[in-house]
Amino acid sequence: MELVTAMLVRILLVDDHPVVRQGLKTLLEGRPEWEVVGEASDGVEAVEKVNALQPDVVVLDVTMPRMSGIEACRLIQQKGPPREILFVTQHDSPQMMREALAAGARGYVVKSNLARDLVEAVEAVSQHREFTALARNSPQS
Amino acid sequence: MKLRILLADDHEIVRRGLCALLQKREGWEVCGEASDGREAIEMAKQLKPDVVILDIGMPYLNGLDTTRQLLQHDPQLKIIVLTITDADQVIREALDAGARGFVLKSDAARDLVSAVEALQSKRMFFTPRVNDLVLRGFLDKGHAISRNEPPDLPTLTSREREVTQLLAEGKSSKEVATLLNLSTKTVETHRSNIMRKLSLHSIRDLVVYAIKNNIIQIQTPSPITSSTQSPLA
Repeated sequence: MELVTAMLVRILLVDDHPVVRQGLKTLLEGRPEWEVVGEASDGVEAVEKVNALQPDVVVLDVTMPRMSGIEACRLIQQKGPPREILFVTQHDSPQMMREALAAGARGYVVKSNLARDLVEAVEAVSQHREFTALARNSPQS
Repeated sequence: MKLRILLADDHEIVRRGLCALLQKREGWEVCGEASDGREAIEMAKQLKPDVVILDIGMPYLNGLDTTRQLLQHDPQLKIIVLTITDADQVIREALDAGARGFVLKSDAARDLVSAVEALQSKRMFFTPRVNDLVLRGFLDKGHAISRNEPPDLPTLTSREREVTQLLAEGKSSKEVATLLNLSTKTVETHRSNIMRKLSLHSIRDLVVYAIKNNIIQIQTPSPITSSTQSPLA
C-alpha cells in the first residue's frame, strides 16, 4: 500500500459576499487535507485574521468595502512572514492581474472559471508555484 | 415529498453557495441549476420545481422577464428573486412581475432559507425595505407602492423585451433570430417596432433604455481604489 503524506493546508477565505464564501468552501471541501480556518469580509478584517490565524493560503477578493484586496495583500506581505495569496475576482483583466502579482500574490483566477480553476490554483500556490488564469486563457502554473 | 428547488444565477460560485445553503435543509432538494433566464424556463418546464430562485441580472433573459414568462406558463409557481439592489423601481417591477420573495444577494446567506420557508407556507418574503415600501404605499394611497417614475415597460410586448435585452447585450439581428428561433426578418421587424414605440434612434439609445428599465444590469467591477461595492467583484 502506498503511503501518502498530505500536508495540512490552512486557508483563510476573504470575500464580502457570504454566499460566495460558502460557494468557495464547497469547492474546497473535496480535499480533506485542506482546512478553511477562517473567513473575512473585507481587507481590514483580512489583515487582522491573517495575523490572528496564520493561514498558509489566503484566498482574496479584489473589490471589497473598507480596504481592497490589493491593498490588503500589500499589507499582509509587508507586515508578516510571506504568505501565499490567491486572488479570486471578477476582474478579468491582465492589468489587474499584474497589479495583484506585484502586490505579492502568487495566484490570480477569475470567478467565472472557479469550478475549473480553484482547486488547481490553491494546490499550486500552497506549493509555492504561481497560478494565473483569465477567463479566455488556459491556466498557467 | 421533497420540496424541489430550481436555481438560476449566471455565477457558478454563487450557485454553489446557494446550493450549499439550501441542501442543509432536510426535505429540500435543488433539482436543477440554470445559468440564464432562458435555460431556467426550459428547465422549469421539464423539472416542474415547487420553487424557483432567480437572479435578476442574468444574460439572454433577465430574472424579471423570466418571472413573467414562468408565471404565464404556471401561475401557481413560487418565485424568489435575488437582487443586488432594493431600489424602488426594482422592487416594484419584481412585485408586478409576480415574484413573492425578494432577497438581497448580500443577505442571501441569512435570508434565503427563511424566504423559501415563507413561500412553502404560502406566505411572502421581503427585505425590511420592501416591507416599508409596500406599507408606505398602502398608507399613502391605498395602493401597493407609490409610482413616482412609472417605467416605460408596458409599451413593449414580452417578445419585444426579450429582443431588447439581446440587442442591448450586443447581439446582431441574426444572432437574436437564432437564439429565439425566429427569422432575421421577424427580428428586424421587432427591432423597428421597438425603436418606434420607444422613440429611440440608435442601439446606444436602446442600451441606455435597457439599463434604465432593468432589462440589463451593468456588473462592471468598480475601481479597486473605490470603497463602493460591485455585485461580485
